[in-house]
Amino acid sequence: MDKLNVGRHISGQFNEDLERVINHVMAMGGLVEKQLKDSISAMIEGDEELAKEVLKNDYQINDFEVSIDEECSRIIAKRQPAAGDLRLIMAIIKTITDLERIGDEAEKIAKVAEESFSKEQRDLLVNLENLGRRVLVMLQSTLDAFTRMDFDAAIKVHKKDDKIDREYEGLMRQLMTYMMEDPRAIPQVMSVIWSARALERIGDRCQNICEYIIYFVKGKVVRHTTPEDMKKL
Amino acid sequence: MITVNPKANEVAAPLDLNNLTPEQTALEIENLNLFYGEKQALNNISMKIPKGQVTAFIGPSGCGKSTLLRCINRMNDLVDTCSIQGDINLNGENIYGKHVDVAALRRKVGMVFQRPNPFPKSIYENVVYGLRITGEKNRRVLDEAVERSLKAAALWEEVKDRLHDSALGLSGGQQQRLVIARAIAIEPEVLLLDEPTSALDPISTLTIEELINDLKKQFTVVIVTHNMQQAARVSDQTAFMYMGDLIEYSDTNTLFTTPAKKKTEDYITGRYG
Repeated sequence: MDKLNVGRHISGQFNEDLERVINHVMAMGGLVEKQLKDSISAMIEGDEELAKEVLKNDYQINDFEVSIDEECSRIIAKRQPAAGDLRLIMAIIKTITDLERIGDEAEKIAKVAEESFSKEQRDLLVNLENLGRRVLVMLQSTLDAFTRMDFDAAIKVHKKDDKIDREYEGLMRQLMTYMMEDPRAIPQVMSVIWSARALERIGDRCQNICEYIIYFVKGKVVRHTTPEDMKKL
Repeated sequence: MITVNPKANEVAAPLDLNNLTPEQTALEIENLNLFYGEKQALNNISMKIPKGQVTAFIGPSGCGKSTLLRCINRMNDLVDTCSIQGDINLNGENIYGKHVDVAALRRKVGMVFQRPNPFPKSIYENVVYGLRITGEKNRRVLDEAVERSLKAAALWEEVKDRLHDSALGLSGGQQQRLVIARAIAIEPEVLLLDEPTSALDPISTLTIEELINDLKKQFTVVIVTHNMQQAARVSDQTAFMYMGDLIEYSDTNTLFTTPAKKKTEDYITGRYG
C-alpha cells in the first residue's frame, strides 16, 4: 500500500476516500478469489452444495462493482484527481470491471459443477484440475501485485498467461479426442469445454489487471503491445 | 441523428519544447536570475514559450511565477531593489538590451492583473486609452478598435448600447473582460495574465477561460494561476515552479497525467512536499 502513496495528501478527507475505495477493491478481490476457488473445487469434487453457494454469492461481487464505481465517480467529481491519483482511479475503475467478469466466469464454472455427471464422465473434469489450479495461482498473484502496485510482479504475472493458453490448447486437443472416440459423451465434453474456456478467459482478465498496474506505475498504456515493447519500460 | 464535430476528433501533437524553431518561439528566457536585494527569487530559469499558444505557470505562493511573468514586460524595473541577470528574447530580440524602449516593449507585451483595474472613464475611453496615447485621433479607427477588441473579449454584446457609460458600473467579470479588451486593443504580440480570474465567480471564470482559448489564435498567452484545474483546462504548456526553480516544463496533458518529477506530482495531487 505504501507505493500507492495515498496517505500524504494535505486533505485528510481525500486520504480517507482513497483508502476506503482501495480497501473495497481488496475486499472485492478476496471475494472473487474465494468464488473461483470454490467453483473449481465444486467442479473437481462434484460438490453440488458448494456450486449452489457460489451461484448464490455472485450478487455480492456485482454489488461491490456498483458501489466502487460510485465511489470513484464521487472522487472524480469532488477531488479532480491528477497524475498518480488519477491513474489510480482509472486503474481501479478498469480493474473492478475485470474482477466482476472473473466472478461471472466462476459462476459459469459453478453452473457446470451443478450438472450431474456419471462416474466416467467425471474423470473428464479431473483434466481441468491442473488448468484450474494454475489460473487460481495467477489470480492470487495478480491481486497480490495490485495490493502492492508492484510493477515487476505485474510483468511476471502478465507472462504467465502464455502457459495457461498452452495448457488450454492441450486440453482442447484431449477433449476433441474424447468426442471423436465417443460421440455420446459430446454434451458432457461440451460442458467441460465451457469450463475450460471460462478458466482461460480468467487468465486473460488477470493479464488485463496487470496492464492496469503497469499503467498506474509507469503511466504508459501497454494494452495491445508486444512483450518486447513492454520490456522496454 | 448524432452529429460529430470533426474538430473533436483531433488531439494536437505536443510541441517538442526543447527544440522549438525560431518561428515557433515567441519568447526565449535564457539563464534568468533575479534578486530582490540579497535574496534570489529566480534561479537560472531557461525556457522557450511557443507562439500562438497558452503557457501556464503554476506553483505555490512565493515560488516566483508572478515574478517571472513580470520580467516578460519589465514590470520588475519598477522595484528598486530588484536586479536581473540573463536574457529574455522576444522574437529574437533581448528585451533587457541597452537600447530597448520599455514603453514600446509594453505595447508589444500586454498585461492583465488579478483585480480588474478599469480607469474611471467610460467603457469606450478605457478601450481606446492605449491608442490615444500612441496619438491615434481618427474617430473611425478608434470606433473600429473598440468594436473589434470588445468582440474579441466577448463583451461587445453586453455593452454595445452603453459604450459611454462609466466602466466602473460593470460587474467584476465584465470589468475583467474590459481590461482584456483594453490590453488587446493595441494588438500586442504577447498577453500576460496574472491570475486573471481569482477574483471572479465560476461562470465569469469560464467565460474568461473560453476567451483565453480564442485569444491564442492571435496572441501568445502566458498565464499565472493558482487554480491548477484552470491551468489544466486552458493551457497548452505548463511550467511548474518551486522556490525560484523551474522544476518541470512540459505539455499540459503530460504534466497533469504523468509528471516526470516527484515535486510536481506532489504539488498537483495536493500532497505534502
